[in-house]
Amino acid sequence: MAYLVLARKWRPQYFADLIGQEHVSQTLANAIRSGRIHHAFLFTGARGVGKTSAARILAKALNCETGLTDQPCNTCSSCTEITSGQGMDVIEIDGASNTGVDDVRELRENIRYMPSRSRFKIFIIDEVHMLSTNAFNALLKTLEEPPEHAKFIFATTEPHKIPITILSRCQRFDFRKIPLAKVAVRLREISTAEELTISDRSLGLIARQGEGSMRDALSTFDQVLAFSGDQVEDEAVQTLLGMVDRRLLLDTVEAILQRDSRRALESAHRVDQLGLALRRFTQDLLEMFRGMVICKVVDEPAELLDMVGDELKVLKLLAEDASLEDLQRIVTLLMKTQLELVNSNSPLLALEMSLVRLATLAPSQDLGKLISHIESLERRLTSAPLPTYRPQAVPKAPAAEPPPPKKPEAPVATTTDSKRWQGLVDMVKQSRPMLGSVLEHGRPLKLEAPILDVGYPKGSFMIGQLQEDDIRHDLEALATEYFGTTIKLKVSMVDAEAQDAPKSLVETRQEEETDRMRRLREDAVEHPALKAVQDVFGGRIKKVIPIDKGFV
Amino acid sequence: MTFDQILGHDRQKEILSRSLASGRLAHAYLFSGPDGVGKRLMALALARAIVCHEQRGCGNCLACRKIDHQNHPDLHLLEPDGNSIKIEQVRSFQKDLHLKPLEASRKICLIEEADSMTVGAANALLKTLEEPRGDTLLILLTAHPNRLLETIRSRCQPLPFTRHPNSRIQAQLEKQLGIDSTESHVLAALSEGSFKKAFGKDRELYLDKRRKLLKTLTGLSPGSILPILDFAEQISADKTVLPDILEIFQAFYRDVMMILQGRGDNHLVNLDLKEKIHRVSGRENIASILAKLEALIEVRRQLDRNVNRQLAMEVLLLKLAA
Ligand SMILES: [Zn+2]
Ligand SMILES: [Zn+2]
Repeated sequence: MAYLVLARKWRPQYFADLIGQEHVSQTLANAIRSGRIHHAFLFTGARGVGKTSAARILAKALNCETGLTDQPCNTCSSCTEITSGQGMDVIEIDGASNTGVDDVRELRENIRYMPSRSRFKIFIIDEVHMLSTNAFNALLKTLEEPPEHAKFIFATTEPHKIPITILSRCQRFDFRKIPLAKVAVRLREISTAEELTISDRSLGLIARQGEGSMRDALSTFDQVLAFSGDQVEDEAVQTLLGMVDRRLLLDTVEAILQRDSRRALESAHRVDQLGLALRRFTQDLLEMFRGMVICKVVDEPAELLDMVGDELKVLKLLAEDASLEDLQRIVTLLMKTQLELVNSNSPLLALEMSLVRLATLAPSQDLGKLISHIESLERRLTSAPLPTYRPQAVPKAPAAEPPPPKKPEAPVATTTDSKRWQGLVDMVKQSRPMLGSVLEHGRPLKLEAPILDVGYPKGSFMIGQLQEDDIRHDLEALATEYFGTTIKLKVSMVDAEAQDAPKSLVETRQEEETDRMRRLREDAVEHPALKAVQDVFGGRIKKVIPIDKGFV
Repeated sequence: MTFDQILGHDRQKEILSRSLASGRLAHAYLFSGPDGVGKRLMALALARAIVCHEQRGCGNCLACRKIDHQNHPDLHLLEPDGNSIKIEQVRSFQKDLHLKPLEASRKICLIEEADSMTVGAANALLKTLEEPRGDTLLILLTAHPNRLLETIRSRCQPLPFTRHPNSRIQAQLEKQLGIDSTESHVLAALSEGSFKKAFGKDRELYLDKRRKLLKTLTGLSPGSILPILDFAEQISADKTVLPDILEIFQAFYRDVMMILQGRGDNHLVNLDLKEKIHRVSGRENIASILAKLEALIEVRRQLDRNVNRQLAMEVLLLKLAA
């Protein structure tokens, strides 16, 4: 007799056995007790969470020889036939193998006959999403006028592929992924019944492999038992599941956070030498960084992370030194690497490049600090006492009073002024993005304490916005903070066509872009490859599109 | 082929032989891992161990020999017909599976390139995978487990295979081909841990022509366009060789990356071109080298989608010469 895998041996036989699907089993049991039973059910949910098992239990409950019951006896001939998957009146159809309209027609023929000896004729259609459109249409006719004696149970992992007309005629039950803890408890029950020796830690690891699916967890458990026999050592489970050594993971995390790309590469080398699966390693690394993000943003991360005490402590420590922004960037990049590894021709290289990239990321926090440093320096410089060349030291001579320093008339043209304007707008954008973008469209007509004069074309709605008291007040406060001296805002109307007024930031940018496009176009037109194409095929250039915005 | 004769994969061998010994062999396995690392050999070794009259896959008895010649009546092979395994194939295969095994204790079914099953074929197989006849063993083989339906994966006992370490491949290359250690190192390093790749390599291309190709590549300069166009034309001429050439380029820039990162010479692929690698690394930085590798990866992806080869190479070489 061949070995029966645990998932089959321990297939749930009662509603109460459906772990993690209490909401389903209760509703079904209630319906049966009350005798008000829908004629068509749809069970949806991920793989291995109990849909087919639930369908069989429901079928037994409906047809058990002890009578309609939420506790089928599991011993009568009807029950045992269903358990073995071959009942006279319970017909299990594999939706994937019987997809055509003929199959459904045959089914409809079959439905017309009364059940041979049970209460109901029950049709279980697994993978129902695989039916063809025509087959669905044929099925629909039956569902519209079902005979009293027929019940339908449909199961699918992909409910979105089922026509709405069918959906609306079924009572739908969504099966959930099973929480780790519940899977672990079930695994413990099975180990006790099978007289196995295994630690909670190992059962936890096995349960985690299932990712919410009982069948997947049991399948892993099978593998562990096949390897270890009845006495399971923790170490064997670790090896068997290809678990990546925590030490290696921590090393890699540290290398990345310390910007030590050489050590990060060393990790890739070790992963390769140990014969570990690269995706598995990347996944575990991703989990670590995700854990750190959670540590940063949540006070009690333990609930969100499946981690034991020590690991959590280490993670928290590591997270302390890293900025949230960095961690999030790392998580994003690792997710991308995960995807790349799936189809890569050279997975090891993909991992190596990813690690190098992660370990050479420009630290965002320090950069931020640096920028604010420079900004405060600049601010102090611009609001500093007048430059020394001013004729202050000139002895007073009433007759020949030096002319007052010439105030720059609009347009504001000096580079310092345009830098200060840009600086102010940048600062406003950080706290008030909308206001910042309003300023970007304004022309800095005059920028001299205590007056800041911003111009907009006549009729611009932005004038109205800036004249609102709240906004004006906020902007003045921000500008005062920026220049270190009280600033009053003035909003002026300008002629949109006027050439002599200083340009707004948006205008400047557009001009630069046009200029750049012009240069690019010139380069492109001069390019020998393009010329060759023109020589051979003729034609003219319609558009030059820069493609430089790809790489970091 | 017995378990002992298969190189490496000790853990996988142990899992299978222990399961066999304890009578806990699952009814469906998914052997996943890179092409050419020995998944099929392992499956056949398992098949022999099951059917063998001596119960050990002796290789001498009639049953073992039938497996070796793939004419054992209880060994069923399902492989892609053209590009995919189609639903009709799965159905006729299932008909065979309904029958009792003829000579052995079990029917053994190998599904090769299981990821090539059409959606219909894969779905049709689900029931069989979940509850096959008691005396059936299904082994699915794939280099791309993630392309399989989750519902398929979930019904199989997973057995992942990993790359062979380069040292193991190198030793076999030297032993079986009698080449020197620099050459075997280059071939092994470019094999991605696959014996099939290592032994299947066009040695002339990977050993002699490689040096010439890299010489031309590193001699390109962004200023002079004609040599770039010539070279692009030259390498894109033969569709079948192009992927190998790109692999050579890629390995070269990886070497440069290694040097830039301060890794020792022993981590290089092109051990015979150390001087060139060091020279090129002098004019690159980590960002530029990552960009070049990125461009190579991208172009290999594009070639899978049948873009204009020569055009793609021109664009690539412009980037590499920059
Ligand atoms: Zn009963
Ligand atoms: Zn034999």
